[in-house]
Amino acid sequence: MPNITFYLHDQGEPSDVPAHWLTACHVAAELSSKRQWCLVLCESQQQAEAVDELLWQFPAERFVAHNLSGEGPAKGAPVEIAWQAPARPNRHTLINLSGQIPADVERYRQLIDFVPADEAAKQSARERYKAFRAAGYSLETQPASSITEKQHG
Amino acid sequence: MIFGIIAALFCHIEHAMSKVADLFAATGQLAENIAGFTPRQAQTDMALAVEKAIEAQQSLIVEAGTGTGKTFAYLAPALLSGDKVIVSTGTKNLQEQLFHRDVPVLKKALGSRAHVALLKGRSNYLCLHRLAMHGGNSTLVNDEVLDELSEVKAWSTSTKSGDIGELTTLAEDAKVLPFVTSTIDNCLGKDCPDYEDCYLVKARRNALDADMVVVNHHLFFADMALKDTGFGELIPEADVIIFDEAHQIPDVASEYFGEALSTRQIHDLAKDIELLYRTVLKDAQQLQRAAEKCKVAASDLRLQFGEQGERGNWRQKCQEPVIQKQLEMLESALKVLYEVIKIHLGRDKELDTVYDRIVEIQQRLATLTDTQQTGVSLWYETTLRHITLHLTPLSIADKFAANVKAAKCSWIFTSATLKVGEGFDHFQRQMGLYDAQTLALDSPFDYPQQAILCVPRYLPEPNSREMAATLLDIAAQLVKASDGRCFLLFTSHAMLRLVAERLRERVTNTILVQGTTTKRALLEEYLADPHAVLLGTGAFWEGVDVRGDALTCVMIDKLPFASPDDPLLQARIEDCRRQGGNPFGQLQIPQAVITLKQGAGRLIRDATDKGVLVICDNRLITRDYGKTFVASLPPMHRTRTLDTALQFLRDLREEGKNNETTSD
Repeated sequence: MPNITFYLHDQGEPSDVPAHWLTACHVAAELSSKRQWCLVLCESQQQAEAVDELLWQFPAERFVAHNLSGEGPAKGAPVEIAWQAPARPNRHTLINLSGQIPADVERYRQLIDFVPADEAAKQSARERYKAFRAAGYSLETQPASSITEKQHG
Repeated sequence: MIFGIIAALFCHIEHAMSKVADLFAATGQLAENIAGFTPRQAQTDMALAVEKAIEAQQSLIVEAGTGTGKTFAYLAPALLSGDKVIVSTGTKNLQEQLFHRDVPVLKKALGSRAHVALLKGRSNYLCLHRLAMHGGNSTLVNDEVLDELSEVKAWSTSTKSGDIGELTTLAEDAKVLPFVTSTIDNCLGKDCPDYEDCYLVKARRNALDADMVVVNHHLFFADMALKDTGFGELIPEADVIIFDEAHQIPDVASEYFGEALSTRQIHDLAKDIELLYRTVLKDAQQLQRAAEKCKVAASDLRLQFGEQGERGNWRQKCQEPVIQKQLEMLESALKVLYEVIKIHLGRDKELDTVYDRIVEIQQRLATLTDTQQTGVSLWYETTLRHITLHLTPLSIADKFAANVKAAKCSWIFTSATLKVGEGFDHFQRQMGLYDAQTLALDSPFDYPQQAILCVPRYLPEPNSREMAATLLDIAAQLVKASDGRCFLLFTSHAMLRLVAERLRERVTNTILVQGTTTKRALLEEYLADPHAVLLGTGAFWEGVDVRGDALTCVMIDKLPFASPDDPLLQARIEDCRRQGGNPFGQLQIPQAVITLKQGAGRLIRDATDKGVLVICDNRLITRDYGKTFVASLPPMHRTRTLDTALQFLRDLREEGKNNETTSD
């Protein structure tokens, strides 16, 4: 059964991509530096490619080896970005950008989710939080700034 | 008060010492005398570092990104020092550029009267003795060669330098060249009747007298490794030795600190004996026959290998019984030749040097077939008619470091590509330069604005069968978006040919393919056609300088790891493993990084250049070592969206068109 962490976002600076996508990338970078393989689950291929682009544009010193579903070596890179839940989950952490409750949650050691700043998305995140709590998972929340600070510190 | 005086004194010294700083300042001599010169911090920093290294007789390694202006940054302090300087660069072309373009501009700006000399390798100079030998009705040459020969003869009466390069009508690989230039093997040295008029001797003397000599790496290391007569004279004289394109020297040095023997040398020997027999030793038919036997034995050795050129592990190969047998036959044929020629010694000077050559060939063959030795790679390489045996030291670090230590001078190493990731360790380890000062200077270009680095999504794995179709598809899109003006760089000839063939069906642009003509001719064709696409391998990854709109896109098919079949690399990998190292991290990645940096460097050559670099290898993204490559490339804007790259190219094309109309 995974530990679940929700990262909370305030209304931040307007930017091209939602702030929690970037937070997801920072989490992936952090995990990858600890050699913990993760899956970033997106709601669409388009979103997956946007996340891929964000990771590729990280400064060279914070390079994160990653792949999209359908490319890369057979076992995948330390960070894999998908838009469909894998048939056989085998990674340490699931980073959930899909906005849904993913399948096979219990197969991961850790699950990362997000409470975005956007009202509608925030509401949906609250419902996931409640559902996870009802299912008896151990939950914690963190301000999004904690991960970005850690990355930059 | 006293402190004031001392401080003032120091100020004065400081000022007097920074001649170079003044020179490169906004109001300095360079800005005053060279049109278009503007001070650049990185260039001044480099010049100051070079000045300091020269004064302190230290070794200095500088990576200077494209556009830093490194040539002036090392030439100026070198000229100002008043010391005796050797400047070594990568190729003959670069030598000429330095000598005919950069040095004169700088000398004029500085008002310098330094005597600067250009020294090329032996094969660039007319050999009067050999020209005279073939002056008569030599039966060994055909009509084409005879025509060229009369051309050379006409020119020989007027040339001052004897530099064959003056004869621009002669092809680079003209068949007459071996007849009118000498080799280490056939040079008579001091015994030559034409010694006093010898152009090579004159060029060497001129070099020894000069304040600055411009050479190339091959010549330099041949001199250092005493590979030619009269060598070993240059370096002891020098106070300052500067290597430009220094990333090439580990390979060149390895070559010259090693040994090689080609069957071509045996063929040449036989040819020269034949000529002697026909001209001055008409009674020595036995000698001619013995030489012919050696030639046949050498050819038979070659025939043991496949028709296609190949490289392989000689240590293993030469233990095979058939090869053993051929080697024995060659050895015994050489022995017979040696015995026969001894009888004729003293009859002719030419013959005496032929004798020395036979002894040399015998010794080298013995060295190259000694499979018990360690610390070296024994490998072979075949061409259509010949086989060359090589012995290459696995590391030259100790040897080179000993040479650096022995010569009491300062050594400067510079190139746009020396660092791997953040450090110089790789280069320092290769050359044994652990104590050298290092300096890294970023390019002044605004890479995030000027260029895009794109690694397209969903590429097949490298080496997979689908890769050719994918490359073709990406290439076609790029060529269409930029309307030509592309370099497609490949790591293998096979892929190059495959893409070249099919790309013709997909685009209407002129497709220029390496191998059809010389590199220079191909580049000229490329520049003459504003919509051309050039497909190349190895030679085009470096030393090509196409500025402005003529090149807006470079595609690279794969990370340029050296072929794992390369016998020298294999030997180095084994050696690294034996010493508990990590060959992939210590050898293969650094080598590929330097090559990729060179290839990528073709794109942005000027502060106003713009363009797209597409690397079709997802390992750059999906493998941890991608970090080293990314950290080593200039900071271009990164994307994985091919459309973004294509749009950038289309915009550039539009921009170009608009500029054309406004300038009309």
